[in-house]
Amino acid sequence: MDARITGRGTWLAIVVTGVYIFLIGPMAIVVLAALNAGDYLAFPPQGLSLRWFIRAAQTEPFVRSFLFSLKLAAWVTVASTLLGTAAALYVVRHSARFRNVLRLAILAPLQLPAILTGIALLIFFLATGIGTRGMRALFIGHTLVSLPYVFLTVSAVLAGFDRSLEEAARSLGAGPFTTFRRITLPLIQGGVISGALFAFITSFDQFPISLLLVSVGNSTLPIQLFDYLRFSFDPAAAAVSTVSVLMSVVIVLIVDRLVGLQAVSWGAQ
Amino acid sequence: MASTEGILRAGVRAAPRRGLPPWLLIAPTLLLLAVFFLVPYVNMVRMSLLVKPAVGAYEPEFTLANYARALLDPFHWRVMYRTFWLAGLTTALTLLIAYPVAYHLSYAPRRRRRWLLMLLISPLLVSLVVRGFAWMILLGRVGLVNLAVQRLTGHELVLIGTPTAIVIGLVHVYVPFMALAIAGALQNIPPDLIQAARSLGASPWAAFRRVVWPLSLPGVQAGTLLVFVLAVSSYVIPILLGASNVLVMPMLIVQTLLDAFNWPLGSALSMVFFGLTAAVVALYLRLLARGMPWTRA
Repeated sequence: MDARITGRGTWLAIVVTGVYIFLIGPMAIVVLAALNAGDYLAFPPQGLSLRWFIRAAQTEPFVRSFLFSLKLAAWVTVASTLLGTAAALYVVRHSARFRNVLRLAILAPLQLPAILTGIALLIFFLATGIGTRGMRALFIGHTLVSLPYVFLTVSAVLAGFDRSLEEAARSLGAGPFTTFRRITLPLIQGGVISGALFAFITSFDQFPISLLLVSVGNSTLPIQLFDYLRFSFDPAAAAVSTVSVLMSVVIVLIVDRLVGLQAVSWGAQ
Repeated sequence: MASTEGILRAGVRAAPRRGLPPWLLIAPTLLLLAVFFLVPYVNMVRMSLLVKPAVGAYEPEFTLANYARALLDPFHWRVMYRTFWLAGLTTALTLLIAYPVAYHLSYAPRRRRRWLLMLLISPLLVSLVVRGFAWMILLGRVGLVNLAVQRLTGHELVLIGTPTAIVIGLVHVYVPFMALAIAGALQNIPPDLIQAARSLGASPWAAFRRVVWPLSLPGVQAGTLLVFVLAVSSYVIPILLGASNVLVMPMLIVQTLLDAFNWPLGSALSMVFFGLTAAVVALYLRLLARGMPWTRA
């Protein structure tokens, strides 16, 4: 839009640049701190090196919790992608009267504070004897908060979907499963993959629910990092954190390629 | 090609329905939500009404004593007040910072908007612990902020462990949420409206104040609500940046449950906290509805 119409000037550009520096700066600091060659977290960094990455990779609890988080996030991604895609297909196409109720119900885990959900789940698991040992409790808790993202991204692509293509396939003799596999899925796959990536990162970075549901020997990476930070403060923590920063950048780039970030940011609302 | 389409549609209608009933698509999700979301919350309500014995977790006997204890202890109210005050301040500051960003984003050219969105969304995907840690590096004793202040003024400025550090960290976490909510509303304003206001002689500022701002209020409402509810229940940022000096409700509840092992009292505190948050939100919505009568239609 024309600058004269909206009346945006240089002051706006200056303010906005400042805000972006405020948003991105701390992440850059973490990455810089991880590359620091010195013995302490201090500024300015004393030369560049990868020694803290090597130190982190040799720290057994970090490696163990990293692998555990990866495995957990992978299972959560599979479950929430399957459930979330199916739920979106139903809500967008087959629900009429209950559409809003169903949407509210599916998004409810995002609306209620995750820490309360974690508490409710902890009491429930302990009271019913299901317990929080192993990965089960974490898997369920993470799926609750990851599934809504898949639901949102798939709903967004389904809303602009031309159904006459499916009708053509059906009238040419394709069964419902063939139609889904050959027509529907390829057309909505951008939304499905974006949703899956969001589900993955939601689980991988999840903190409040994990805090309550982790058990001895089954710590996730954010919880391990949190425990570490309470007692020590060195560049190894920054090296571990850099993994989270890099993952976020990669996922943003992929989603932008697939469906465009606009679709997941406000197209979904 | 209306006739071809008609034939295709007729063909579909004539085809026998071989598929499974569609409700099977939603059934697993609803089952998950019912068993592992609804039931645990209902169970928590029940737990808040049970007796806490001296030994053991709870006894299946109903009482209101937990609520009395949660509500009558002035210490709880001090923590509650601090929590709401910090969240309110965070929400106001976030709005102030995020509005220009949303405005700039909405009227940016297409290509640039892509990059701006990336800058806005990537911090959202970084773990909260990592974002807290980043501010620990910046605001700590050997952090950049203290070094800069010391060099300039000679005084020390260690913010870690103060409410200020918590608010800075929370604002940093919630600016993208707020900016995206407001940008969503700004996207829906037809550019013709602004153009019309300008061509009728309104200054850019008047056009903003009388056209853009009122029409963006639904986005402001959505953003402030989201940020307030998230900020009130935040746990990681207050504990990392407050360095356990500043107690907020989520920390108190988790301590009651995990350290004091008092499930009934912890559940009652959760309910009181939840109820108060809902009351504040309802009050806020009421005030806002009075402030923008045009959204009621």
